[in-house]
Amino acid sequence: MPLPLDLLDLRVTNARGRVLLDAPALSVLPGEAVGIRGPSGAGKSTLLFALAGLLPEATGQVRWGKTQMLALSPEARAGFRAAHMGLIFQDFLLFEELGAAANAGMGALFRHRSARATLKTRAAKILARLGVSDEPRNVASFSGGERQRVAVARALAHDPSILLADEPTASLDRAAADRLVDDLTTLARTQGKTLITVSHDRALLERMDRVLTIENGQLSEARDA
Amino acid sequence: MPDVWYTLSADTQDALFTLLLSLPALLTGLVVLRSYAPGPLVRALLWRFRWPNLMFVLLIAVSVGMGIGLIAQERGLRHGTAAAADKFDMIVAAPGSEITMMLASIFLQPSNVPLLDGAMYDAVANHEQVALAAPLGFGDSYGEAPVVGTIADFVQHLTEGEIEGRMWQAPFEAIAGAYVSLEIGDQFTPAHGMSGNVQPGAHGDAYTVVARMPATGSPWDRAILVPIEGVWAVHGLANGHAPDKPTQLGPPFDARFFPGTPAIVVKANELWATYALRAEFTRDGESMAFFPGAVLARLYAIMGDLRQAMTLMTLVTQSLVATSVLVGLFILTRLFRRQMALLRALGAPGRFILSVVWSYAAALLLAGSALGMLFGLGAAQVLSRVVTARTDILVEPHLGWSEVHLLAGFVSVTLILSLLPAWAVLRRPVVEGLRS
Repeated sequence: MPLPLDLLDLRVTNARGRVLLDAPALSVLPGEAVGIRGPSGAGKSTLLFALAGLLPEATGQVRWGKTQMLALSPEARAGFRAAHMGLIFQDFLLFEELGAAANAGMGALFRHRSARATLKTRAAKILARLGVSDEPRNVASFSGGERQRVAVARALAHDPSILLADEPTASLDRAAADRLVDDLTTLARTQGKTLITVSHDRALLERMDRVLTIENGQLSEARDA
Repeated sequence: MPDVWYTLSADTQDALFTLLLSLPALLTGLVVLRSYAPGPLVRALLWRFRWPNLMFVLLIAVSVGMGIGLIAQERGLRHGTAAAADKFDMIVAAPGSEITMMLASIFLQPSNVPLLDGAMYDAVANHEQVALAAPLGFGDSYGEAPVVGTIADFVQHLTEGEIEGRMWQAPFEAIAGAYVSLEIGDQFTPAHGMSGNVQPGAHGDAYTVVARMPATGSPWDRAILVPIEGVWAVHGLANGHAPDKPTQLGPPFDARFFPGTPAIVVKANELWATYALRAEFTRDGESMAFFPGAVLARLYAIMGDLRQAMTLMTLVTQSLVATSVLVGLFILTRLFRRQMALLRALGAPGRFILSVVWSYAAALLLAGSALGMLFGLGAAQVLSRVVTARTDILVEPHLGWSEVHLLAGFVSVTLILSLLPAWAVLRRPVVEGLRS
């Protein structure tokens, strides 16, 4: 079931007290696609990491449905991510020595036995839908576009309601980026996922329902999309 | 419970003790790995960082191997010396050092020892409980081979009758040990003296080899056995028999014409009689009788302290190795901090991260320990060959329970300690890891 996001007074400061992110309020509807743009170092990735509960130093409220993420223990946050979130990174972060299926089905390794087969089957179906070869070769030999599609399959394999993507097209050439944008937005929409993506990619941002801007750690609605 | 324990065989006790030592590691593994399957990730990490991993495994192997090799070698040496003394139930010699006499008569180490006279030999040889009383005559050599004078019954006793060729029938016939480079029919002239103190040409008489002995795993394999009458004759002494019996070989000897012997190897009719014989022939100022086995046991007891020190040193070394392993694991885990951060970001539970790092460490430790066991045995084999070649004492190292216990203890402790780097991985900030 898609979860809405309600963010209130989210603040992230570094060890020296410098404010890295200040987001007074943000609401995202279930199934909405939101893009976040801003210059490098503005705090885009920090926002994404805070939404995923990966920053212990974040304060305020990040409420996914009824769950206040920042009030959870690190273990409970990991559990929430495993159940509800799919993460996509700029540089893919795949296990280079494993094949596409093993990478996409990685979540099966730490899930209960009963859920493993389902997750692997789903990962294989998504890979097929994304046109990734099921050859048992290591992803080290894949192109950038193929790798990112494997990363997308990994993010979707456990059927999460939230997709968080950090510069998903940044390491791809234009053609591969366009294809990934198509795949990502189509999958998110057809499967009713809430998609929040940080990007500089205009083509990607144009496909979002809404675009937000971060500058100097301050989050605001974009003046133009 | 203690009663049940003592009813078990030694092997069963050792196996159970090994299990007990391994139990903490097995339980840790069971708890950490329960319901997870980190195998593919561990294999990926092992392959990705294969060169540092290989170095680490080799480091463990060398340190484990040294410990195992030392223990196996020491035990092999003990077994080898005990086996070499197996045929020597009791030695009667002139009063002096039992150890010197044992080294001279069993391990054929040259030494100047006083002689027993014919009366003493008669008393021993004619005792009703004595089955064999073999005089030994040392002092000559051929090349590196000591030439030892004795009687035919001793050759029979030493070789259990398994000689190739025939028993000597004349004073200048000889039987060569298994490692002596003389064939049947060869002739040789012994030199006076042994081992670096040789006077070649002092004796003019040549011996003819009439038989060869099988290998006994003792320094006697490098010896040439001749009738003791021959040894006496080449030294210009009486031949142990009355002048009217110039061709007689072996007992009975005539005490009046018996030039003397440094040692008599005695075998009693019954085991219990050996103790009575020892008491009877231990006479102040005249003779001493001793069991080489008991002397060796005393020697082992003295060496036992050294062995304990060695064991302690091995344990200290293993502790240092365990600490190094731990430090090494901390360093190695930094290599894959990004992968672990990724797993955590994907929602992997902390115990799964523990299971990956712990399995990775376990794979390295087990591979290193298994390789170390082979390395230790290999090193002990090489050392044993050197010792055997230099002493002719057959040293056959093999894996014993002590080594298995050492290995099980080492693996168990290090596997439990491996939880520390695994825990440290878990404590590292995820975002920092993702950006590393």
